[in-house]
Amino acid sequence: MPYNISTEGMEELEQMLRQAGDAAQGAASAGLYEGAKVIADAVSGAVRGIATSPFKYAKGGKRQPSPEEKAILEAAPKGVAKFKKSGGSVDTSVGFSQSGYARITWNHARSGMRTKYKMGYGGRATASTSTEGKSTGISAKPIPVIANAINSGTSFMEKQPFFRKAVSQNRGKAQKAIEDKLLKMIEASMNKKNGGT
Amino acid sequence: MPEEYTSLVAALKALTQGEAPNTVTLPMCENEWDTRPDADSWGTVALEFEADALHGDNLKQAEAYEGSVDLFSYKKDGDGWPALIRKALTDNCEGCWSLNSFQRERENNVFHWEWIFQVEG
Repeated sequence: MPYNISTEGMEELEQMLRQAGDAAQGAASAGLYEGAKVIADAVSGAVRGIATSPFKYAKGGKRQPSPEEKAILEAAPKGVAKFKKSGGSVDTSVGFSQSGYARITWNHARSGMRTKYKMGYGGRATASTSTEGKSTGISAKPIPVIANAINSGTSFMEKQPFFRKAVSQNRGKAQKAIEDKLLKMIEASMNKKNGGT
Repeated sequence: MPEEYTSLVAALKALTQGEAPNTVTLPMCENEWDTRPDADSWGTVALEFEADALHGDNLKQAEAYEGSVDLFSYKKDGDGWPALIRKALTDNCEGCWSLNSFQRERENNVFHWEWIFQVEG
C-alpha cells in the first residue's frame, strides 16, 4: 500500500540550508580556531607541570628534564598552525612544530658554565659554537625535539606525557567549543540574512 | 614466541584491570639501566592518566585510562617484539591503540617504539 507524505515549508528550509552553506566555510574556521585554542591553552598549562631536576649525565638511571629545557618549552610559541582547506574540511595543528630552535648549553654541569639559550634561532640547525677551536658546549637544539623527548621519553630521559595528556583530557572541551562557535556563527548568519532578530 | 610474551600480556592485563596509573617494567631486561649493555631490548608498560573519553566510543560515554608501551632496542627489528606487542594490544585493548612514534636516538643508537593505548576505566 503506497503512502503519500506531503510536507510544507521545504522550499524555505532548503533556502535556509543553502544560506547556511555559504556561511559554513567561515564558521568552520572560526569554530576550529576555538577548539585549537582550548588545546593550546591546555598544553601551556601542562608545560608548567613538568617535573625537572638539575642537569646531570644519566648514569644509573634516567634523568628528568633540566629547568632550562622546561623554560624553553614555557617560552616557546605553542601556536595554532595556518589553516589548510582540503575539499570541504579545514585542518590545523597545535604544537611546537613551528617553534624553531633554542640555543642551549648542555655541559654546564661539567664546566660550571651558566646555561644560555635563545629562542627563535633563525630556524636553522647549527653546530656547537666554538671559541679558538674549543667547543663552548652551546648548540642549537630544535624545540620540537626537546618537547618530544620529554613527552615520549627516551632511553635516558623520564617520560612525562604532558602534551598527550593535555590533548586526551581536553578533547571533549575542544569539541564542545567548536560546536558552540559553529552554532553561534550559523545562527547569526541566518538571522542576518532573514532580516535579523 | 618468547616466554616473556606471557609476562607482557600479564602486565597489560594487570594494568587494564587496575584503577590507578601504574608502571610495569617488562622482563625483557630485569634491571633497566644496569643490565642494558647486556640486553638488546627492554621496555616498559605504563598506565599513565585518566583521559577524557574512550577514543573508540562514538557516543563518548565511556571513561578511559590512557597508557603507553615503550620498547627500546639496539636492533632495528626490535628482536621481534613489535609484532608481539601489537598482538598483545589488539587482544587486550579492543582496537584502542596506535603506534605513536618510532625513532632512532642518535645519542646512543637505540631504536624507540612508543605505542599508545586506552582502556575503559
